[in-house]
Amino acid sequence: MRVRVLRQESPTAEPYWESFDYDGPRDTSVAGMLDYLNYHDDIVNADGQPTRRIAWECSCLQGACGACAMVINGMPALACDTFVRDLDCDEVVLAPLTKFPTIRDLATDRTSIQDNLKRGNVFIGEYQPKAGEDFARQYEAAKCLKCGLCLEICPNYTSGNSFFGAVFANDCYLVHARNRQKARDIRKVYARHFGNACSKSLTCMDVCPMGISTITSMAKLNR
Amino acid sequence: MREVLIIGSGIAGMACAVRCAEQNVRVTLVSPYPSERSQSVMAAGGINAVTEQREEGDSVASHVEDTLRGGSWIAGKNAVTGLCSHAADIIGYLESIGTVFSLDGQGRPMRRAFGGQSHKRTYFCGSSTGKQIVSALVMEVRRHEATGAIVRKLRMHFHSALIADGVCHGALLFDERTRELVPVYANAVVMAVGGQNALFGKTTGSVLCDGYAAGRLFMQGALLKNLEFVQFHPTTLETDQKRMLVSEAARGEGGRLFFEDGGQRVYFMEDKFGPKGNLMTRDVVSRTMQETGQDVFLDISFLDGRLIGQRLQEVRDLCWKYRGIDVCAQPIPVAPSVHFFMGGLAVHLNHETNIERLYAVGECASMYHGANRLGGNSLLAALYGGRVAADDLCNRANPESRPDFSHVVTREQRGLAASFDATSPFPVAYMRDMLADVMQEHMGIVRSQKSLLEGLQSVEYYQSVAGRIHYDPSVSAYENYSLEGMLATAHAALSCALARRESRGSHWRIDAPQTLDDYACATLVSYDDGAYRVWTDKECAYES
Repeated sequence: MRVRVLRQESPTAEPYWESFDYDGPRDTSVAGMLDYLNYHDDIVNADGQPTRRIAWECSCLQGACGACAMVINGMPALACDTFVRDLDCDEVVLAPLTKFPTIRDLATDRTSIQDNLKRGNVFIGEYQPKAGEDFARQYEAAKCLKCGLCLEICPNYTSGNSFFGAVFANDCYLVHARNRQKARDIRKVYARHFGNACSKSLTCMDVCPMGISTITSMAKLNR
Repeated sequence: MREVLIIGSGIAGMACAVRCAEQNVRVTLVSPYPSERSQSVMAAGGINAVTEQREEGDSVASHVEDTLRGGSWIAGKNAVTGLCSHAADIIGYLESIGTVFSLDGQGRPMRRAFGGQSHKRTYFCGSSTGKQIVSALVMEVRRHEATGAIVRKLRMHFHSALIADGVCHGALLFDERTRELVPVYANAVVMAVGGQNALFGKTTGSVLCDGYAAGRLFMQGALLKNLEFVQFHPTTLETDQKRMLVSEAARGEGGRLFFEDGGQRVYFMEDKFGPKGNLMTRDVVSRTMQETGQDVFLDISFLDGRLIGQRLQEVRDLCWKYRGIDVCAQPIPVAPSVHFFMGGLAVHLNHETNIERLYAVGECASMYHGANRLGGNSLLAALYGGRVAADDLCNRANPESRPDFSHVVTREQRGLAASFDATSPFPVAYMRDMLADVMQEHMGIVRSQKSLLEGLQSVEYYQSVAGRIHYDPSVSAYENYSLEGMLATAHAALSCALARRESRGSHWRIDAPQTLDDYACATLVSYDDGAYRVWTDKECAYES
């Protein structure tokens, strides 16, 4: 199997493609495949030339932390949550998320996600229980990994300077649901940085590893 | 006190940061990655507390006793009493900041049974309790970031502490962006860096928790404690990169362990320990599983499918995703795996180490759990420990003066920069893998002096060569420089296990199977220029 990786030595270096031959197990995740390429032996590219090891990030290796988000065969996905056997192809193409600065190879700097939530003052403050709360929905929203996959696929999200994407909308929903005193203010912030500009492609929901229904958040906040 | 540096932004670090901010102490909260990547998000099962809605007959005293018994009577009674007494308050706090608990029909947080406990007192959020708490705490931290009370710094790794005359004045941090060491000074430093997973390679935890910081601080004079006590979680699922945790909640909800013998299922835990056998403490279950010598399975297929969907959704999903197992129809093949470290930095009741103004909280600190931790007590300890450290340091005066550390910064930076110029293709990961093999083989569920000595010999060899090897500089600089500290922690752990010539809790010596009164206290280990000294804390200097 051929693996093509878009590489970049540093944040300011030019990206370039490099191919590798993968002869490891198919019944593994893309994360497992990267580990195999890096450490099964000295790393060489498809031309047999020694090269540097492929940089990528991970923590939990079970789809619970979002660290290994990247673009796999053109689709944003978690490497530990995507299995080689399911890719059904002879070539796997790996690239870093494009909506964030590249640190090195497949590792990207996604601090803009936290920065935008901070800019929007998106925090609950004091929880105020109320009748008829949709706890299942709140539980789901609170599982957001902040991985950035929803932003990568979103046609409206570009630099993150004004439109903050689904990750922002779902946290706004959580604040709205849990603190009614902040409901009005958070709806304004939501409208400014999401609601007014979302074209409702809803591709964010297709790639969310937690299966978060952003459209439900939107329905609650647009009401 | 004016300012504190907190290193690590999982639940313990965030709890400490928020508590400091509430007391007008300025916090610098440092971590390589956002809190959403911390190991805290992987804590599945729940958090223990005896609240007003307690089960009939339950009490704080009962929670204390279960914790002390579970820890084989070597945890400090005062420490554990403090932990359990504040548990209800902590549940209330978590609710108040918006944590989404699983609720009963009256809208009150629900409880489930957990191993080693006399009553049902584990509050939970589905099977992602840690993640739900992290989400709520991240928002609380953000609230204080808005006022400037907490300043977060990402992509910074701990390198070493700035210590002079037994007092900590800050830390050297490695900045990934500039590839330089940055000194950050503070009136106190709190370590909240997690456990020592990477010493063992494949575990249930995060690969980012590696035991480096504990090892480095150890080499700088901090004492380590109880490193022989490593918790093996009995129900984990093998995958090629890690051991997936099948939460204890699965047994709390009624799951049964068995092996097959001639086509018949043998429910060995129930046979040996009675109807509650599946919920014995983790050390007992793990050891009993090992003793069977059989492939063991966990069956939850007989539980109501809706209950599995509501309370064990993450268990169902990971079994399906990583192994194609439908838990509603098939048993889950399970085996014990390294899961939690009861040992770590030795801390006093106020969570301060033997180095003045250096604190440790969460899994990197050794406190509360004795020789074996009860499920549901780690989240509680992380939150409580963070609070205790915050309350203590906030009430202290600032140090009178700060020594000049510029020569230390220059020396360490020079040493690090030299490693960037290496041309070797040899990755430090190979050394880490060899270390993990040694630890898995010699620090496993069943130990002996002979085996531990062999392990120690191997680690000593790696220590003798590690500094002379040039490592592939194309991998992260942190991974390269962290090896030495990890090896020191491993050496200390094997030394502690050798010194405890008895069996207690998670430390099982086949050549010393008795539990002895002489060892009914903590193990301490110190480092002095390459010499490791181990002794038992008979005076209860730590954890009274």
